[in-house]
Amino acid sequence: MVVKVGQAPHRRRWLTVSSDADRLAEVRAFVRKAVADFGGSKRASDDLVQAVDEATCNVMLHGYAGKPGEIEIEAALRDRNIEIRILDRAPSFNPTVGPDAGTTSPARPTRPGGMGMGIHLLRTMVDAVHHSARSDGGNELTLVRSIEDQAQED
Amino acid sequence: MGMTIGVDHVEGDPPVAVVTLDGELDASNYEGVIDAVRQAYAGGARGLVLDMAGVSFMASSGLFALHSAVRIMRGDTPPDPEAGWGALHEMSVDHEGEGGKVRIAAAQDAIARVLDRTGMTKLFGMSDSRDDAVAAIQEG
Repeated sequence: MVVKVGQAPHRRRWLTVSSDADRLAEVRAFVRKAVADFGGSKRASDDLVQAVDEATCNVMLHGYAGKPGEIEIEAALRDRNIEIRILDRAPSFNPTVGPDAGTTSPARPTRPGGMGMGIHLLRTMVDAVHHSARSDGGNELTLVRSIEDQAQED
Repeated sequence: MGMTIGVDHVEGDPPVAVVTLDGELDASNYEGVIDAVRQAYAGGARGLVLDMAGVSFMASSGLFALHSAVRIMRGDTPPDPEAGWGALHEMSVDHEGEGGKVRIAAAQDAIARVLDRTGMTKLFGMSDSRDDAVAAIQEG
Protein backbone atom coordinates (compact mmCIF):
# COMPACT_ATOMS: atom_id res chain seq x y z
CA MET A 1 0.00 0.00 0.00
CA VAL A 2 1.20 3.45 -0.83
CA VAL A 3 -0.38 6.43 0.91
CA LYS A 4 1.12 9.88 0.98
CA VAL A 5 -0.58 12.90 2.42
CA GLY A 6 0.67 16.42 2.15
CA GLN A 7 -0.31 19.98 2.75
CA ALA A 8 1.11 23.16 1.36
CA PRO A 9 0.44 26.85 1.83
CA HIS A 10 -2.26 28.55 -0.21
CA ARG A 11 -4.90 26.07 0.82
CA ARG A 12 -3.73 23.18 -1.31
CA ARG A 13 -3.36 19.59 -0.15
CA TRP A 14 -2.87 16.26 -1.77
CA LEU A 15 -3.07 12.51 -1.33
CA THR A 16 -1.48 9.66 -3.26
CA VAL A 17 -2.98 6.17 -3.12
CA SER A 18 -2.30 2.92 -4.87
CA SER A 19 -4.91 1.55 -7.26
CA ASP A 20 -6.90 -0.58 -4.82
CA ALA A 21 -10.62 -0.30 -4.08
CA ASP A 22 -9.84 -0.78 -0.40
CA ARG A 23 -8.19 2.66 -0.51
CA LEU A 24 -11.41 4.45 -1.54
CA ALA A 25 -12.39 5.08 2.10
CA GLU A 26 -9.14 7.00 2.57
CA VAL A 27 -9.87 9.04 -0.54
CA ARG A 28 -13.31 9.96 0.78
CA ALA A 29 -11.89 10.88 4.18
CA PHE A 30 -9.31 13.10 2.48
CA VAL A 31 -12.01 14.93 0.51
CA ARG A 32 -14.22 15.39 3.58
CA LYS A 33 -11.33 16.84 5.54
CA ALA A 34 -10.29 19.16 2.72
CA VAL A 35 -13.81 20.48 2.17
CA ALA A 36 -14.26 21.03 5.91
CA ASP A 37 -10.95 22.87 6.13
CA PHE A 38 -11.99 25.05 3.19
CA GLY A 39 -15.25 25.94 4.92
CA GLY A 40 -17.46 24.09 2.48
CA SER A 41 -21.03 23.15 3.28
CA LYS A 42 -22.17 19.64 4.20
CA ARG A 43 -23.90 19.42 0.83
CA ALA A 44 -20.73 20.46 -0.98
CA SER A 45 -18.83 17.82 0.95
CA ASP A 46 -21.34 15.09 0.14
CA ASP A 47 -21.32 15.98 -3.56
CA LEU A 48 -17.55 16.15 -3.86
CA VAL A 49 -17.03 12.94 -1.90
CA GLN A 50 -19.43 11.18 -4.26
CA ALA A 51 -17.86 12.63 -7.39
CA VAL A 52 -14.27 11.94 -6.37
CA ASP A 53 -15.10 8.40 -5.28
CA GLU A 54 -16.74 7.68 -8.63
CA ALA A 55 -13.86 9.19 -10.60
CA THR A 56 -11.18 7.45 -8.56
CA CYS A 57 -12.99 4.11 -8.65
CA ASN A 58 -13.28 4.52 -12.41
CA VAL A 59 -9.52 4.88 -12.70
CA MET A 60 -8.91 1.87 -10.45
CA LEU A 61 -11.37 -0.52 -12.06
CA HIS A 62 -11.27 0.58 -15.68
CA GLY A 63 -8.12 2.63 -16.12
CA TYR A 64 -5.54 0.50 -14.36
CA ALA A 65 -7.92 -2.49 -14.61
CA GLY A 66 -6.27 -4.48 -11.85
CA LYS A 67 -2.72 -3.51 -12.74
CA PRO A 68 -0.57 -1.64 -10.23
CA GLY A 69 -0.66 2.13 -10.41
CA GLU A 70 -0.88 5.29 -8.40
CA ILE A 71 -3.53 7.99 -8.24
CA GLU A 72 -2.77 11.49 -7.06
CA ILE A 73 -5.56 13.66 -5.69
CA GLU A 74 -5.09 17.36 -5.10
CA ALA A 75 -7.59 19.68 -3.47
CA ALA A 76 -7.41 23.45 -3.61
CA LEU A 77 -9.66 26.40 -2.82
CA ARG A 78 -9.84 29.08 -5.49
CA ASP A 79 -12.17 31.98 -4.77
CA ARG A 80 -15.33 30.27 -3.59
CA ASN A 81 -14.76 27.07 -5.55
CA ILE A 82 -13.10 23.83 -4.55
CA GLU A 83 -11.01 22.28 -7.30
CA ILE A 84 -10.01 18.66 -7.06
CA ARG A 85 -7.53 17.23 -9.55
CA ILE A 86 -7.24 13.48 -10.05
CA LEU A 87 -4.10 12.38 -11.85
CA ASP A 88 -3.21 8.89 -13.05
CA ARG A 89 -0.99 7.03 -15.50
CA ALA A 90 -3.73 4.84 -16.92
CA PRO A 91 -4.71 4.77 -20.60
CA SER A 92 -6.35 7.98 -21.68
CA PHE A 93 -10.09 8.25 -21.14
CA ASN A 94 -12.24 11.35 -21.12
CA PRO A 95 -15.39 10.99 -19.04
CA THR A 96 -16.59 14.46 -20.02
CA VAL A 97 -17.52 13.35 -23.53
CA GLY A 98 -19.79 10.62 -24.80
CA PRO A 99 -23.43 9.92 -24.12
CA ASP A 100 -24.87 11.21 -20.89
CA ALA A 101 -26.46 8.38 -19.01
CA GLY A 102 -29.84 9.97 -18.49
CA THR A 103 -32.49 8.23 -16.47
CA THR A 104 -35.33 8.46 -18.94
CA SER A 105 -33.89 6.90 -22.06
CA PRO A 106 -31.59 3.94 -22.56
CA ALA A 107 -27.92 4.81 -22.69
CA ARG A 108 -25.05 2.56 -23.58
CA PRO A 109 -22.04 2.18 -21.32
CA THR A 110 -19.39 4.63 -22.45
CA ARG A 111 -16.74 1.92 -22.25
CA PRO A 112 -16.49 -1.72 -21.27
CA GLY A 113 -16.98 -2.45 -17.63
CA GLY A 114 -20.44 -1.10 -17.03
CA MET A 115 -19.41 2.54 -17.15
CA GLY A 116 -22.11 5.12 -17.05
CA MET A 117 -23.76 5.17 -13.65
CA GLY A 118 -20.73 6.53 -11.86
CA ILE A 119 -19.96 9.02 -14.59
CA HIS A 120 -23.53 10.27 -14.56
CA LEU A 121 -23.37 10.74 -10.81
CA LEU A 122 -20.04 12.50 -11.10
CA ARG A 123 -21.43 14.96 -13.64
CA THR A 124 -24.47 15.78 -11.56
CA MET A 125 -22.55 16.38 -8.35
CA VAL A 126 -20.17 19.11 -9.48
CA ASP A 127 -20.35 22.38 -11.37
CA ALA A 128 -17.66 21.57 -13.92
CA VAL A 129 -15.54 18.65 -15.08
CA HIS A 130 -12.40 19.08 -17.18
CA HIS A 131 -10.24 16.33 -18.63
CA SER A 132 -6.87 16.48 -20.28
CA ALA A 133 -4.43 13.81 -21.36
CA ARG A 134 -1.09 14.24 -19.62
CA SER A 135 1.71 14.86 -22.06
CA ASP A 136 3.81 12.13 -20.52
CA GLY A 137 0.97 9.63 -20.25
CA GLY A 138 -2.16 9.33 -18.16
CA ASN A 139 -5.11 11.52 -17.33
CA GLU A 140 -5.81 14.68 -15.40
CA LEU A 141 -9.41 15.14 -14.34
CA THR A 142 -10.45 18.34 -12.59
CA LEU A 143 -13.69 18.62 -10.65
CA VAL A 144 -14.95 22.05 -9.63
CA ARG A 145 -17.72 22.77 -7.18
CA SER A 146 -18.84 25.81 -5.26
CA ILE A 147 -18.29 25.60 -1.52
CA GLU A 148 -21.85 26.83 -1.07
CA ASP A 149 -24.73 24.58 -0.17
CA GLN A 150 -26.14 24.31 -3.68
CA ALA A 151 -24.10 23.42 -6.73
CA GLN A 152 -24.15 26.25 -9.23
CA GLU A 153 -26.09 24.17 -11.74
CA ASP A 154 -28.49 22.78 -9.16
CA MET B 1 -14.50 2.79 7.06
CA GLY B 2 -15.88 -0.62 6.26
CA MET B 3 -19.38 -1.88 6.29
CA THR B 4 -21.22 -4.37 8.47
CA ILE B 5 -24.19 -6.38 7.27
CA GLY B 6 -26.82 -7.91 9.52
CA VAL B 7 -29.80 -10.02 8.52
CA ASP B 8 -33.04 -10.55 10.47
CA HIS B 9 -35.94 -12.70 9.34
CA VAL B 10 -39.54 -11.64 9.91
CA GLU B 11 -42.16 -14.36 9.63
CA GLY B 12 -45.40 -13.65 7.84
CA ASP B 13 -46.78 -13.53 4.32
CA PRO B 14 -44.47 -13.16 2.62
CA PRO B 15 -41.52 -13.92 4.89
CA VAL B 16 -39.29 -10.85 4.89
CA ALA B 17 -35.55 -10.52 5.31
CA VAL B 18 -34.36 -7.26 6.85
CA VAL B 19 -30.80 -6.59 5.74
CA THR B 20 -29.24 -3.89 7.90
CA LEU B 21 -26.28 -2.08 6.41
CA ASP B 22 -23.96 0.06 8.51
CA GLY B 23 -21.04 2.02 7.11
CA GLU B 24 -20.02 3.08 3.61
CA LEU B 25 -21.16 1.06 0.61
CA ASP B 26 -18.59 1.18 -2.16
CA ALA B 27 -16.71 -0.86 -4.74
CA SER B 28 -14.77 -2.70 -2.07
CA ASN B 29 -17.77 -4.22 -0.29
CA TYR B 30 -20.92 -4.12 -2.48
CA GLU B 31 -20.62 -7.82 -3.27
CA GLY B 32 -21.25 -8.59 0.39
CA VAL B 33 -24.72 -7.06 0.07
CA ILE B 34 -25.47 -9.23 -2.95
CA ASP B 35 -24.30 -12.32 -1.08
CA ALA B 36 -26.46 -11.48 1.94
CA VAL B 37 -29.56 -11.06 -0.23
CA ARG B 38 -28.82 -14.23 -2.12
CA GLN B 39 -28.58 -16.17 1.15
CA ALA B 40 -31.79 -14.60 2.44
CA TYR B 41 -33.65 -15.63 -0.69
CA ALA B 42 -32.23 -19.13 -0.46
CA GLY B 43 -33.44 -19.21 3.14
CA GLY B 44 -37.02 -18.58 2.07
CA ALA B 45 -37.40 -14.79 2.21
CA ARG B 46 -39.73 -13.43 -0.48
CA GLY B 47 -39.74 -9.84 0.69
CA LEU B 48 -36.69 -7.68 1.39
CA VAL B 49 -36.08 -4.58 3.45
CA LEU B 50 -32.74 -2.85 3.09
CA ASP B 51 -32.34 -0.82 6.28
CA MET B 52 -29.95 1.94 5.27
CA ALA B 53 -30.19 4.16 8.35
CA GLY B 54 -26.53 3.50 9.06
CA VAL B 55 -25.26 4.00 5.52
CA SER B 56 -23.48 7.35 5.22
CA PHE B 57 -22.18 6.90 1.68
CA MET B 58 -23.20 4.87 -1.36
CA ALA B 59 -21.25 4.69 -4.60
CA SER B 60 -22.64 3.59 -7.95
CA SER B 61 -21.45 0.09 -7.09
CA GLY B 62 -24.03 0.23 -4.30
CA LEU B 63 -26.70 0.99 -6.86
CA PHE B 64 -25.59 -2.11 -8.69
CA ALA B 65 -25.99 -4.11 -5.47
CA LEU B 66 -29.52 -2.75 -5.02
CA HIS B 67 -30.40 -3.71 -8.56
CA SER B 68 -28.99 -7.16 -7.93
CA ALA B 69 -31.17 -7.44 -4.81
CA VAL B 70 -34.31 -6.82 -6.84
CA ARG B 71 -33.31 -9.43 -9.39
CA ILE B 72 -32.48 -12.01 -6.74
CA MET B 73 -35.80 -11.49 -4.95
CA ARG B 74 -37.54 -12.07 -8.25
CA GLY B 75 -35.79 -15.38 -8.52
CA ASP B 76 -33.63 -14.10 -11.38
CA THR B 77 -29.89 -14.05 -11.68
CA PRO B 78 -28.17 -10.79 -10.68
CA PRO B 79 -27.50 -8.38 -13.55
CA ASP B 80 -24.31 -8.43 -15.52
CA PRO B 81 -21.88 -5.90 -14.05
CA GLU B 82 -20.84 -5.07 -17.61
CA ALA B 83 -24.33 -3.86 -18.43
CA GLY B 84 -24.08 -0.50 -16.64
CA TRP B 85 -26.96 1.79 -17.40
CA GLY B 86 -28.51 -0.80 -19.63
CA ALA B 87 -29.10 -2.90 -16.53
CA LEU B 88 -30.72 -0.01 -14.70
CA HIS B 89 -33.06 0.73 -17.56
CA GLU B 90 -33.85 -2.94 -17.75
CA MET B 91 -34.73 -2.77 -14.08
CA SER B 92 -37.20 0.02 -14.66
CA VAL B 93 -39.03 -2.38 -16.95
CA ASP B 94 -38.58 -5.23 -14.49
CA HIS B 95 -40.11 -3.20 -11.73
CA GLU B 96 -43.47 -2.78 -13.41
CA GLY B 97 -45.67 -5.32 -11.70
CA GLU B 98 -42.98 -6.14 -9.17
CA GLY B 99 -45.40 -5.42 -6.34
CA GLY B 100 -43.00 -3.58 -4.07
CA LYS B 101 -41.47 -6.61 -2.40
CA VAL B 102 -38.17 -4.81 -2.01
CA ARG B 103 -38.12 -1.63 0.06
CA ILE B 104 -35.43 0.74 1.28
CA ALA B 105 -35.88 1.98 4.84
CA ALA B 106 -34.54 5.08 6.58
CA ALA B 107 -32.18 6.29 3.87
CA GLN B 108 -30.12 9.33 4.89
CA ASP B 109 -30.39 12.47 2.77
CA ALA B 110 -27.15 11.84 0.88
CA ILE B 111 -28.27 8.32 -0.01
CA ALA B 112 -31.74 9.45 -1.03
CA ARG B 113 -30.12 12.06 -3.26
CA VAL B 114 -28.06 9.43 -5.08
CA LEU B 115 -31.15 7.29 -5.55
CA ASP B 116 -33.07 10.29 -6.83
CA ARG B 117 -30.37 11.49 -9.21
CA THR B 118 -30.18 8.08 -10.82
CA GLY B 119 -33.94 7.63 -11.04
CA MET B 120 -33.92 4.71 -8.63
CA THR B 121 -36.39 6.18 -6.16
CA LYS B 122 -38.99 5.21 -8.73
CA LEU B 123 -37.87 1.62 -8.60
CA PHE B 124 -37.97 0.85 -4.88
CA GLY B 125 -40.54 1.37 -2.22
CA MET B 126 -39.17 3.90 0.25
CA SER B 127 -40.14 3.79 3.94
CA ASP B 128 -39.19 5.90 6.93
CA SER B 129 -38.41 2.89 9.13
CA ARG B 130 -37.78 -0.81 8.87
CA ASP B 131 -41.03 -1.58 10.66
CA ASP B 132 -42.97 0.54 8.20
CA ALA B 133 -41.20 -1.21 5.34
CA VAL B 134 -42.00 -4.69 6.63
CA ALA B 135 -45.62 -3.70 7.16
CA ALA B 136 -45.86 -2.25 3.65
CA ILE B 137 -44.62 -5.51 2.16
CA GLN B 138 -46.74 -7.85 4.23
CA GLU B 139 -49.88 -5.74 4.09
CA GLY B 140 -49.42 -4.73 0.49
